[in-house]
Amino acid sequence: MNSDIAIQVEGVGKRFRLRHAGTRTLKSVALDMLRPGKRTVRDLWALKDISFSVARGKTLGLIGANGAGKSTLLALLAGTMEATEGRIGMCGTISSLLELGAGFHPDLTGRENVFLAGAIMGLTRNQMKKRFDAIVDFADIGQFIDQPVKHYSSGMYVRLGFAVAVEVDPDILLVDEVLAVGDAVFQRKCLKRMAEFRHQNKTMLIISHDLNTIQSVSDEILFLDHGRILGHGTPESVIGQYESFSRGVTTSDLRREWGTREVVLTGAEFFDDGGRETSKFKWGEALNVRLHYEATKPVGPSVFGFALSDENGRVVNGNNTQIEKVEIPGLQGTGSIVLRLPSLNLASGTYLFSFSAHSADHQVNYHRLDHAFAIGVDAGKRFEGVCYLPCEWRLDREGAKP
Amino acid sequence: MMRIVKDIMARRELLVMLVIRNLKIRYKDSSLGFLWTLLGPILMILIYAVFLRILRIEVALPVLVTGIFVWQYLAMCLGDSPNAIIGSTNLVKKAAFPRLMLPLSIVLANFINFLFSMVVVVVYVRVAGEPFGQLALLPVALITQVALCLGVSLILSSLNVFFRDVQHVIGLLSMAWFFVTPVIYDASLINKVSANPDTQFWLNFLFHLNPMTGLLALYRSALIGLPAPALYLVIPSVVISGLVCLAGVTVFMKFQGRFADEL
Repeated sequence: MNSDIAIQVEGVGKRFRLRHAGTRTLKSVALDMLRPGKRTVRDLWALKDISFSVARGKTLGLIGANGAGKSTLLALLAGTMEATEGRIGMCGTISSLLELGAGFHPDLTGRENVFLAGAIMGLTRNQMKKRFDAIVDFADIGQFIDQPVKHYSSGMYVRLGFAVAVEVDPDILLVDEVLAVGDAVFQRKCLKRMAEFRHQNKTMLIISHDLNTIQSVSDEILFLDHGRILGHGTPESVIGQYESFSRGVTTSDLRREWGTREVVLTGAEFFDDGGRETSKFKWGEALNVRLHYEATKPVGPSVFGFALSDENGRVVNGNNTQIEKVEIPGLQGTGSIVLRLPSLNLASGTYLFSFSAHSADHQVNYHRLDHAFAIGVDAGKRFEGVCYLPCEWRLDREGAKP
Repeated sequence: MMRIVKDIMARRELLVMLVIRNLKIRYKDSSLGFLWTLLGPILMILIYAVFLRILRIEVALPVLVTGIFVWQYLAMCLGDSPNAIIGSTNLVKKAAFPRLMLPLSIVLANFINFLFSMVVVVVYVRVAGEPFGQLALLPVALITQVALCLGVSLILSSLNVFFRDVQHVIGLLSMAWFFVTPVIYDASLINKVSANPDTQFWLNFLFHLNPMTGLLALYRSALIGLPAPALYLVIPSVVISGLVCLAGVTVFMKFQGRFADEL
């Protein structure tokens, strides 16, 4: 292994054996033997074909939806689980923060647990003694250090867990979504500590769902989905990819469609005023949609409508050709209709478009596509609510009543 | 096998901490604390002494005392080991270290308790005025029993991860094992089954295939001066204990990679 590489992962896969009901018992094993075709276990590849490397002193961020395999990957690197296939090479001492306070025993005091945790991470008693004061100091738990940890508040518990792990001073630190714990003050302390780690040229691997944090601490990002690597590169590019991917997933969850299908909405293209196709729009930009339809048989006067909702399905705005007095006398064959929103004054986030086609008298619903298309908006401006109403503030020093 | 020993030696600080942890939490929050290690067997001895007298079964008190105390060590390991891995789910899933240390630390912690209780047995033997036997046999007996307890604990702790049935069955198995071992009766009882010397020879041999039988013979010979058991009876006990230990390590090492997946 190249000496500049701290972590090398080659073709790693991890298979779990899932059971349909609970733990394996002698009975289920016996049943499996009797009915070889109908096993009560089934395989799940939590990771497959994972290859990457992390250079010494770099921080790799891991992102992906729940169940993407991030924690499994970290567990393989930490050595708590064994890979089913592939090779993992690690160079240097490792400390893993897979869970804060893992290995703490509720009946032992904070002091006893600190030494136990140190031993679990491979430190001698003397090494721990030198670090002990710094740990108690960082965790900020004062007199409680000699109380059994079962009497700790959950905040104290995780603070002590974090303090132990970072004071161990490893070459490689693996962190699994532990920054989300603790109060704001402690979180800042943790982030500062991790920044120090980076400056000391330590290698880190971090899982977080907080995209802002992970973007700011990582040199590179690895994007996992269903156990496979979908993206690996600079934080900006991979997080952008992850966001548009998530939009796709959100869409498929909320998507509904129905109607008589006399007119079918066959697709929609989103583009900016320059004619460039995109699904990501900036504050105040114009949004254009070309909605394609196919009339399977000729129909009379019709109406096209749209609705824009946020991720929770709350409608932000909706409108149709009838309200805007655009007459559509009849439809036949294929064609398209263009919708233009001159200025998107929306808060940052993901929004979903719904489209409909129905008869002008609202009696026949030809086709409705609810929450079928997702767009992202980057407001670059903070305000309350979903929608921005143009507003002007003026300080009136005279204060005179009208 | 050498690599396993080396791995564990490299992390001996952790092993020591785990042993201390086990000792500390066993009697946490009980007012008599460590005294229970002695009180438990003493109360059991009293119960059996009374019960056996009522049944008119003759057992010398020193035989009963050594039997119960020695058995107590195995019984504690049998009781604790199914929990060794599944009771430390968090550690196994979230921290990397030789998993063998979990059952090993239980066996060692119980061994320390056992050594303390042995002191009491020795004092008792002195006070009762029994003659000590061949004390040189004592280390042999102790080492053999640690090996046996470790082997059994490794098997039970790893199997229980995959088959929780183990923890339910173990109480019954432990009771059966208790009664086929001359804990509360004299090993010579087996000779009353048949008067034929040939049959006696084979019965004795079979009897001693249970390693605890040979172990008890060693302890009783060392502590209360019973005649030393014949070599052909002791050697199988010692060898089988060693084999159980080896089997335990093998089974454990084979399964340990899947512990974190199962928990």
